[in-house]
This record gives sequence, C-alpha cells and structure tokens, in this order.
Amino acid sequence: MLSAVELPASAPAAVALLASAGDGAALMAGGTLVMPALLHGDQATRRLIVLAKAGLGGIELRAGSATIGAGVTFARLAAQPGLAVLRPALASIGSPTLRNMATVGGNLFAPQPYGDFAACLVALDATAAVLSPAGERSLALERLLQEGIGRQEIVTAVRFALPDPARWTYLKAMRRQLNSAAIVTVAAHLPLAGGVVQGARIALGGVAPTVVRARAAEAVLEGQALTGAVIARAAEAALHDIDPADDAYASAWYRRRVLPVHLRRALAGLTGDAS
Amino acid sequence: MKSIVASLVVNGEPREFLAAPGTTLLNLLRSQADLLGTRRGCEQGGCGACTVLVDGTAKLACLIPVECIEGAAVLTVEGLGAPDALHPLQQAFLDAYATQCGFCAPGMLMALKALLDADPAPDRAAVASAISGNVCRCTGYEAIIEAALLAADRLRPPVAAE
Repeated sequence: MLSAVELPASAPAAVALLASAGDGAALMAGGTLVMPALLHGDQATRRLIVLAKAGLGGIELRAGSATIGAGVTFARLAAQPGLAVLRPALASIGSPTLRNMATVGGNLFAPQPYGDFAACLVALDATAAVLSPAGERSLALERLLQEGIGRQEIVTAVRFALPDPARWTYLKAMRRQLNSAAIVTVAAHLPLAGGVVQGARIALGGVAPTVVRARAAEAVLEGQALTGAVIARAAEAALHDIDPADDAYASAWYRRRVLPVHLRRALAGLTGDAS
Repeated sequence: MKSIVASLVVNGEPREFLAAPGTTLLNLLRSQADLLGTRRGCEQGGCGACTVLVDGTAKLACLIPVECIEGAAVLTVEGLGAPDALHPLQQAFLDAYATQCGFCAPGMLMALKALLDADPAPDRAAVASAISGNVCRCTGYEAIIEAALLAADRLRPPVAAE
C-alpha cells in the first residue's frame, strides 16, 4: 500500500527526495515495470518517486550524436526523423500502447528477456549520465547493466553516436511477430575500415541474466572482411558468450540452438548477401 | 492515511475525486466514477483491457497512479459513443461481428480510436500493430481487424467525383 506518490519538478529535486526518502521509496518512470510489481506482491514500497515531471524528456540530435533524456518514451523516440535507424528495434518492444508509457531510462532496468533498447545502447557504446547528491558521473551502459547504480542515483540521460545505418543491424526472434519478449535479440554495429571490420560491437538479449556483449564473436570478426564464412564462424563463437535460461518464452536449450542462426541472419544483412 | 484530490476531465466533464495515494486510474474509473466499461484484466500491462486515452494518447489505466495525470483529459469507452449514437468504430464492431464475450472490446476500441486519430487510412499491418497489446481470447482478431478497416473506410470523407 502506497502512502505517497511524489512528482519532483527537476532531476536534482528527484535525487534529493530519493536521498531523504530512505527505505520503502521506489523510483518510477513510465510505470510499466514498477506498477505491475506494486500490484502483484511488492509490499515494501511505500513511496513512489515518479520522474514524469523531472525534466528528463529532452531529445538532442547534433553532429551525429544523440542525447536522450531518461524519461523519453519509446513512442516519442520512434517519431524522431533523425533516429529512423532505431525504429525497427523500437517497434519490436511491447505494443504501441506500452510504448506510449515505457521509457528509455526504465528499459535499462528491465529484467531479461526484456530490455531490448538497452541491448541497442550497448551495441552503440552508449554512456549514461547518472546523477547523485554528489554530482553527475558518466557511466558506460555496458557497466551500468552489469553493476547497476547506487541507491541514491538516477539515470538522467543516455548518449551515443548515431551509427551509419548501413553498418547497423537489429534482429529479434520472438514467439509472436508483435509484442513479445526476446527469445534472442541481436543488436550489432560493425564499422568497416579498409574493407575489414574494425570496432565491432555485438550485444545480445534474451540469452543471459543481463544483456551481454558477444565478445568471442566480435573477436572472430575483427580485422576480417565480412564474408559468409567469417560470419558463420562468429555466429558459432557467440555460443561462448551466452548463459541462457528457461522461461515462458523459450528454453535455454532452444535459445542456444537458435542463437547462431539468428546472429548469422542479422550479420548477413550487413554484407548484402543472404545465408 | 491522508487522501489526495484527483482532478480529471473524464469524458469531457471536469471531475474531482478523493482517493488514497497511488490509486490507479483504472480503480478510480471503476470504483469512483462508476465507469465500468474500462476493464480490469491482468493489472500488469499485458492484456490491454484497461486501455483509455489520456490527453489523446492510448495508455494502460491499470499502470497509472492518478497523481501522475493531474488535470488530464481521460476518454473511456463510455465517452466514445452512446448506445443511441455509437461511434463508427463501435458500429463497425457490431456490423463485422468483432465482439463475442465483449471483455476486450473497450480496450480494443480505445486503442483503435488512437490509431485512427493518428492515421485515418491504416493498412492491415498498422491495425494489427495497434491492437498488439490487446488480448482477445474469443475472436482470433481477424474480425476485429476487419471492423477497424471498415470503420476507417466509413470515417474517411468521400472523395469528390470529378
């Protein structure tokens, strides 16, 4: 049972409120994760600190880089002409109604097999701006997903360089074509230099306790021309990067079985030839 | 526990409600506004039965503490049409046999209202996407998609003859 719902008017005000609130306070953005928990068993939360009015709704696209406020909804993000490259990923998350509520910041804390936008952000080498009473710090998305943030911190924005659409791919295997959690999510950015892959980043969702980098697959690709044979080897190598679990969407066995297939299909889109 | 005052414009009418902190829009509509058209389904954001429009945007009423939408305009299925003056979507649902048990229909209608407001000429894929967060266990969705396309046709102004 809640005793208060508070809507701080700025990010510093939200941080101050969180610091003084102590146990029993929870942060909420769009409510699509926190509210289901509150309605189904979370007895500990007494106060909700809602970030909807905390000024986290900014979208800045400038000189090839994007700064997205943590409170921006997926619907707003998908409507940005400058972010068309991310539209297929956004369309794969929830339903349009859910995307009217769910936020970029909230997605960073979505338990697997959710959190597909977080997978995109890892592949894009994004950083998060994290605010606490001590000030702001910048944290690599990948680290944030592994380590979380402090009890008194909030994510205010994420930043990333916009990828060349020709070097970016996203593929999500789902139980249904729409509105389903991930069996396997692949988000990959494979820049080329002199005809070979340089700086590959592949993030996988649905196949481990958190979003993970497919480092073994990246290592196979690095320095190579993106041929079908190289992609096939990378896809098999990715099995070393995952630690899948059984859930209502798929078994661990199935995820392991289909990961190389989906990774190969995702990367094949970047060579121009199908496999 | 101190109650809060929630001010909302519900189906065009400014209303004030006394409610416990954190009361969801769904509970407010059903228990205090006596508007039972907005259904209580999963209360997890997974079924879409509670879909309403908040300031014109389709949202899930079960996931919204009323404090978060202070002063907002809420449109429920009761505000969409009246029994003697059905909204074209409601009429199309009747004509195309898009309701069976009827439990999901209000949420479907509100999700589709949001779609048609944004896109008066949706194709089949756009309709399927719009209701992808709304679960129906009776119809298999086909009749609902047909009804939405029928309503879109009827709502479009006729093209003037040359």
